[in-house]
Formats: sequence, C-alpha cells, structure tokens
Amino acid sequence: MNDTKSSTKEEQRPMDVTILGYLQELMDVSAVEAAALMPLMEWRRFEKKELIITAGEQEDYLNLVISGLVRKFICKGNNEYTLQLATEGHIVHSEISYLRREPSVVQLEALEPTLLLSLSHDHMQYALDHLPGADRMGRMLITCMLLKKDERQFKQLRLSTRQRFIDYLQNHPHMLQRVPQKYLASYLNIKPETFSRLKHLLKGK
Amino acid sequence: MVALLEQFLGRYVALSKDELELVSGMLEVRSCDRKLRLVDIGEQEMFINFVTSGLLRKYFVNGHDEIVKSLVQEGQFISSYVSFFNRTPSEYIIETIEPSTLVAISYDHLQQLFQIDAKWERAVRLMMTDLLLEKENWLLDNYRFTPRERFLRFMQSRPELLQRVPQKYLASYLQMKPETFSRLKHLVGQKKCVGTGI
Repeated sequence: MNDTKSSTKEEQRPMDVTILGYLQELMDVSAVEAAALMPLMEWRRFEKKELIITAGEQEDYLNLVISGLVRKFICKGNNEYTLQLATEGHIVHSEISYLRREPSVVQLEALEPTLLLSLSHDHMQYALDHLPGADRMGRMLITCMLLKKDERQFKQLRLSTRQRFIDYLQNHPHMLQRVPQKYLASYLNIKPETFSRLKHLLKGK
Repeated sequence: MVALLEQFLGRYVALSKDELELVSGMLEVRSCDRKLRLVDIGEQEMFINFVTSGLLRKYFVNGHDEIVKSLVQEGQFISSYVSFFNRTPSEYIIETIEPSTLVAISYDHLQQLFQIDAKWERAVRLMMTDLLLEKENWLLDNYRFTPRERFLRFMQSRPELLQRVPQKYLASYLQMKPETFSRLKHLVGQKKCVGTGI
C-alpha cells in the first residue's frame, strides 16, 4: 500500500546524507553498505494519531524515524504506560514480536504525521544472508538498542522525579511542545499533577 | 569443555572441527570461588564468559539497593556486554553466587575471529539478540504481570533456582519486595492450589 508513495521524487533521493548520518549514529556503516541496504527498505507514512501496530498484531518492521514522532506504549487494565518517544533518527518497533515472530504486546502510535524508513523481517533476513557486513551491522544495532534501554532504566531508577523532569526536558526541550503532557508524564514515570507543578522549573530559566 | 561449547554455539552457527579447535585455543579457563566479583562498576569488561559450571548474578546498584538483572547458570553466557563491545566502563557488577568455572574469550580474540569469518559475527549477533529479548521481556514483565504472575512464571521456567539462589536476589530479579517473595513462596509445592493463593 505504501509502494506507490515510495516512488515520489522527494523520497527517491540516493544515499541521503541525513539518513546516512542517522544510520552511522546507530552503528558502523559505510556509505556503500548503507546504499546496498536502501533498496531493501520501505517508506511508510502515518497520519497523526494513526496506530502503526496494535497489541496482538505481529510486528513486521524495524523502523527508523525520518520525520515525526512515534509513541511506544503498553496497556494494562485501563492504564497506558508510555515506554518510548521516538523522534528523528531513532529506532522504534515492537522488538519481541519482530524477532520472535509472535503477537505484539506493545503498541505504536504516530503522535505527528510520521515518515518511517522500515526494514521488513523478510528483507532483514535477505540482508543477513546476502549483504557483506550485515551481521556486524545487526550486532552493533542491537548493542546500541541495549545501551539505550540501559540508559533509560538507570535514569528512571537513579534520578528523583524532579531530576528526571529537568534532565529530560533540558536534553529534549522541543518535546514539551510536541508531546501531550500525559504521555510525557507517563514516559518519565511522573504523576500528571506533579508534572504540571514541575513546569515552573522551566519558565524560571 | 569443547563439547559443551559446541553444543552451545551449535544453537547459533554450525562449526567444523577446525573452527572449534581454533576457538578453543583462544579461550581462557577461569575458576572462581563463590562471591567473587568478576567485574565492578566503572571497570571495563574484558571478557564474554561461557559458564561451564556454577551460578552468577549480574546486578546494578541504585543507592543502597542491588538490583539483580540476570541469573546465569551452566550452559549460558555472561558479560557486561555494552562495556565489552563499546569499550566503556561497566554499569553492572558480575559476581559468582556459587563456585563457578568459566571459559572466557577476550575482546581482541573475538575481533580476530570476526576477521577470519563472518560467521562469528553471526554467532555474536544472535547472542546479542537473545540478550535484547531478555532485557525487553524483563522490562515489560513489570507492566504486564502482577508480582504473583512473575513469581509463578519464574518457578515454572527455572524452578531449580529456588534452592540455589538467595531469596533476596530472587526477589530483586523478579522486581518485588523480599516480603512479597516470602509471602508467595507458599505457592510452591502446593501447585494444585495455585489458583487459590494470596
């Protein structure tokens, strides 16, 4: 369904330096290797508030956010817990579902009109079987994803509520405008009331 | 040892006799007493270790709390992987719970293997994939399961560890208070009554 969209001119650029830059943030990859990967990747567009994957579906894609914003969350009872807020250059998908080929527990939602560059599971397998260096890239990408999960986990545990708020919004100041407060509060594991109260810390600067 | 390693690596890649011999020559056997700290916070991880016997825990520290991230027994790998691959200080402590025998490969030797054949990259990629899945499951379990469900799932998958691992570590690994863990223990050994617990 997205194939027709992928042939528009603006998206048919060769090895875009922005995309190469995003990939090189995640792993060691040469321009030649990245160019070999590009034909295997698909462009996917989502509207604001569109669900990219729902619980129970099988994740078929590993996504790199080119523009927009994706929220990864899990539902338990009547509560939603925001696990990740992915912006330009970030990887986001339902890891367990993608790797184990089982129904997803988590859901992904576009919070803004979003453009993803996605690698399907089949194409990943093809790349691993045919592209030199693919195993190395995969290994490095996974190490990078582990590192990010570690960092988030340590911040959640070690920083106080107030520190988490300041740390995150100082490093991601634009997110206050881009993300509804309840999602930010959930992501930072802060009660919505507390989050509102802490906002004065930013105005004071 | 080679047979054990072959059995383990065989899950990821097929290896010839020559390849097994090559890797055997690179391995270092380490015998460790119980409660020995192999890697500390701030140190660089030098090895990926394959456990041939014993039991270890990998944990991090939050204030005065130790939070157990993995319990690793014979037939499994242990390392502070991010530190090992990125050559950065470890965020984790690795410590033996029981006397343990490990066969270890160093970063340099692993890089040599990577140069020789891409299949070693493949083996390590698959190991790291398992690790990512373990981590994501551990993170999600906190949201999707109650303490009681986490306890029961663990007792189904690794019941032998109830005897081998101090309770406070098990409680930490299962992300619950030690008191909660103690309270849930009655569920073990009266499996038929599992539905009536708590």
